[in-house]
Amino acid sequence: MFNKYLSFIRRVSVTGLGKGGVILTTSSFITLVILELARMLGLVTNAYVGLVTYLLFPFLFVVGLLLIPLGWYQLRKKTGLSTRRLLEEKFGPDETRGSLTGSRLFRFITLLTVINVFFLVAISTQMLGFMDSAYFCGTACHSVMNPEWVTYQQSPHARVRCVQCHVGEGAEALIDSKLNGLWQIISVTFNLYERPIPTPVRQLRPARETCEKCHWPEKFYGSRLMTRYNYQSDEESSLLYTTLNLKIDAGKAGAKAGIHWHIGQENEVRYTSVGDRREMMLRVEARRPDGRYHRYYNRNATAHSAEDVVERSMDCVDCHNRATHIYEEPERAVDDRIKRGLLDLSLPYLKREALAAITRNYTDSTEAYDGIAQSLRNFYMRNYPELEREKTTIIDSAVMVLRDIYSRNIHRSMNIGWDTYASHIGHKGNTGCFRCHNPALVDSAGAAISYDCTLCHSILADNHKEPFQFLEPAETGDRDYQRHRYLKDEFLNSFKK
Amino acid sequence: MNNKVRYIGWLFTLIISFCSNIFGDDLIAGKCLTCHKEMSPGLYQQWYNSAHAAMDISCIDCHQAQKGEADAFMHEGALIATLVTPQDCGQCHSDEAEQVQMSYHATAGEILESQDAYLAHVAGGEPAAIQGCESCHGAKVKIDPSSPNKLSPKSWPNSGIGRINPDGSKGSCNACHTRHTFSVAQARQPEACSKCHLGPDHPQREVYEESKHGNAYYTHIKDMNLEADRWIAGMDYFEAPTCTSCHMSATVSLPVTHDVGQRLSWTLRPPISVHKDNWQQKRANMLTVCSGCHSASFANGHYYQFDAVVELYNEKFAKPATEIMNLVIKNNLLENPASFSNEIEWVYWELWHHEGRRMRHGASMMGPDYTWWHGAYDVAHNFYFKFIPEAQKYGNAEVNTYIDNLIKNDPMHSWLVTATENLKKDIRSGEMQKIYRKMFEQR
Repeated sequence: MFNKYLSFIRRVSVTGLGKGGVILTTSSFITLVILELARMLGLVTNAYVGLVTYLLFPFLFVVGLLLIPLGWYQLRKKTGLSTRRLLEEKFGPDETRGSLTGSRLFRFITLLTVINVFFLVAISTQMLGFMDSAYFCGTACHSVMNPEWVTYQQSPHARVRCVQCHVGEGAEALIDSKLNGLWQIISVTFNLYERPIPTPVRQLRPARETCEKCHWPEKFYGSRLMTRYNYQSDEESSLLYTTLNLKIDAGKAGAKAGIHWHIGQENEVRYTSVGDRREMMLRVEARRPDGRYHRYYNRNATAHSAEDVVERSMDCVDCHNRATHIYEEPERAVDDRIKRGLLDLSLPYLKREALAAITRNYTDSTEAYDGIAQSLRNFYMRNYPELEREKTTIIDSAVMVLRDIYSRNIHRSMNIGWDTYASHIGHKGNTGCFRCHNPALVDSAGAAISYDCTLCHSILADNHKEPFQFLEPAETGDRDYQRHRYLKDEFLNSFKK
Repeated sequence: MNNKVRYIGWLFTLIISFCSNIFGDDLIAGKCLTCHKEMSPGLYQQWYNSAHAAMDISCIDCHQAQKGEADAFMHEGALIATLVTPQDCGQCHSDEAEQVQMSYHATAGEILESQDAYLAHVAGGEPAAIQGCESCHGAKVKIDPSSPNKLSPKSWPNSGIGRINPDGSKGSCNACHTRHTFSVAQARQPEACSKCHLGPDHPQREVYEESKHGNAYYTHIKDMNLEADRWIAGMDYFEAPTCTSCHMSATVSLPVTHDVGQRLSWTLRPPISVHKDNWQQKRANMLTVCSGCHSASFANGHYYQFDAVVELYNEKFAKPATEIMNLVIKNNLLENPASFSNEIEWVYWELWHHEGRRMRHGASMMGPDYTWWHGAYDVAHNFYFKFIPEAQKYGNAEVNTYIDNLIKNDPMHSWLVTATENLKKDIRSGEMQKIYRKMFEQR
């Protein structure tokens, strides 16, 4: 059988083009099989091989197959003979005897085609599977997707595949995503993509369909303690705590509603905002138990053209807009590394100097890597020369950690710097919660949506050396006595029914 | 018996409600501070550093409103008002609030009828009047139900010294006691007053800076003991007085007053200066300040010189100019009907309202340059070479006769038609000075 296959292969190769096709197909096939076997046996673990196995070789395999009939077409043109004549000449009369569909040659070609089809189906399935993997999304368009890939890998959703949020289920979503992918190939090839790539707010699957697979609203959320470690810019980088008790309940089972009230099943919040940024609210409305909507209008809103205005119902991503592709704020990033013990606090002014080193204006990562090292080393060399000699390794490792912070968050080639993507979780300035909860959004009676601090969280420490500052007894004579008493009281009462 | 029970019950209820009120207030206050520390941290920090914070006086104590008040609104569960008026401050600072109500400062908001306000509205326009005039003088605070804090943005913010408040009170304590630190040191420094008291029409700030007093103050600012509870010039500090030292602060024999006119013997504001009511007492009040540092002859000598300048201004320029202006009006010589639509009105205005005041203020606070170059010199130049020629242009017999007579027969003005040599001789011999002898012979 193998001999027969070999002789078939020899004979089917006509003209240079056809021969090339045969070589391409055969070699792709063999390599593919070897690679797949190696992967199955665990000999190859590098996921990057998937790009070659499932994309490059199947492609070459099909191209080769197409070249074979092309060779035959060329030959017929050149000789001016009929196909049957040529077949007889190449394969001999035994193979071509009988009707066209009844000949041995035809049956053999049919057999090989069936094998090819099976092979292609198998490999396409593998290919689709591979293209569903986060690895494919993150690395196929390396330069474009790198920022998202880097942040994703370090996110709470690192074990959820990209397509689970970005591509819907079913054939339609699959086709949609592949067509979209085609456009992405074109835009990458011809350098048409935007830098930074805009957040895909419109293309994202509805949060109700994705997020709620794992985070279903009936889940009892209760409240959650959150402590922020704020290292100061003094010599010791002293630690102050901000502790909040986040009231995140959805308000089910008779519990007091908290922040997740917004997505509670009996509630609906709709808003009209300007553009896809969803930052400037024009109108916000909440459904009341009687089904009517209570509306708030932004009294500071300026006129906008109709196409700029987007209306939608609020869901997870309106607050959790950076649940996965989380870019850190520089100060938080440094605080986090100190807290995790990655930066050694025996270095004086570490917080201040680390922050300064990573936030200078570097044009690319090479300059940044050099700059970070220089900035930190020079500071200690100039101000603490002895310490610089003693603690060279500690300083070096701090430099490495800072470079890592930089490369995780800053991607100059994609125009991503500090603060490129606003996070809507919490509030900083007038972002996040304060987009709606602010004095400008008022109802017809002039009442604003509440923006009271303790509406969403109790405050147990406010940048203080004690993590539970306000749970300590309030002392009369302390200038903050009233605030202290109020916050303690508020926290304790927040658990009452 | 029944009455007794009722009375005890009533007393009990009162005590309970009083206690719960204090308890409730504390918690409300804490809530205000919690959010405002985040939303307006600078404001919180100012308060935190204030004497109010040390005494447990916080947001709600001053901003709490009563039901029915025009500017009251619900804010996060509390009925409050943005505007804090002298009536609110007076809950604790009752003497000060009372004095303010009686002061000339408190009337500053009633300027709508004045020439100044007229000019700002016609020659300028409302926006300039709001940010200009009313910023110092005080607005009549208007209520706007659609505004988040019920205050019309045309009259809020406003911290003019004579603000007319919806509760009927006049003034704004924070015109001088800047919120929310309410630092006593800040109010005692000349900068507190010179937010308004400066510029071409009343350069008190510039005069003070030029004077020995100002000079010494800026040199010795660190020795001024500005934070002291008791602050008497000559006792608690001695290098220099500030505006408040003389006009308001306690003296060796007088208590502090927030009625700023109580030590002023002249009004230097109008076209022709006059003594104020009860001026001798007021001058005596001022002399108690001077005596903290100066001998009686020194202080009296100052008044001797100062009074003469005021008289000189009155007699030589203000009265004749006013008389000429009256003749122009009486004879219907003004071409355009509206006030200030004729050049001569602007010239006359600047003569007394700008230059004339500079001359008088310069003398009152020992500012030589303001007495002469910015003052008397400008007055004379304006009087002789702008005002009189402007009046003569009308060619009116009565006006011209008055002017001719003035220049020919009034020894103060006849220098205009005398030879320089003779004038210089008179100056050297003292004859010229004799013309002004009467200026020193006033009451």
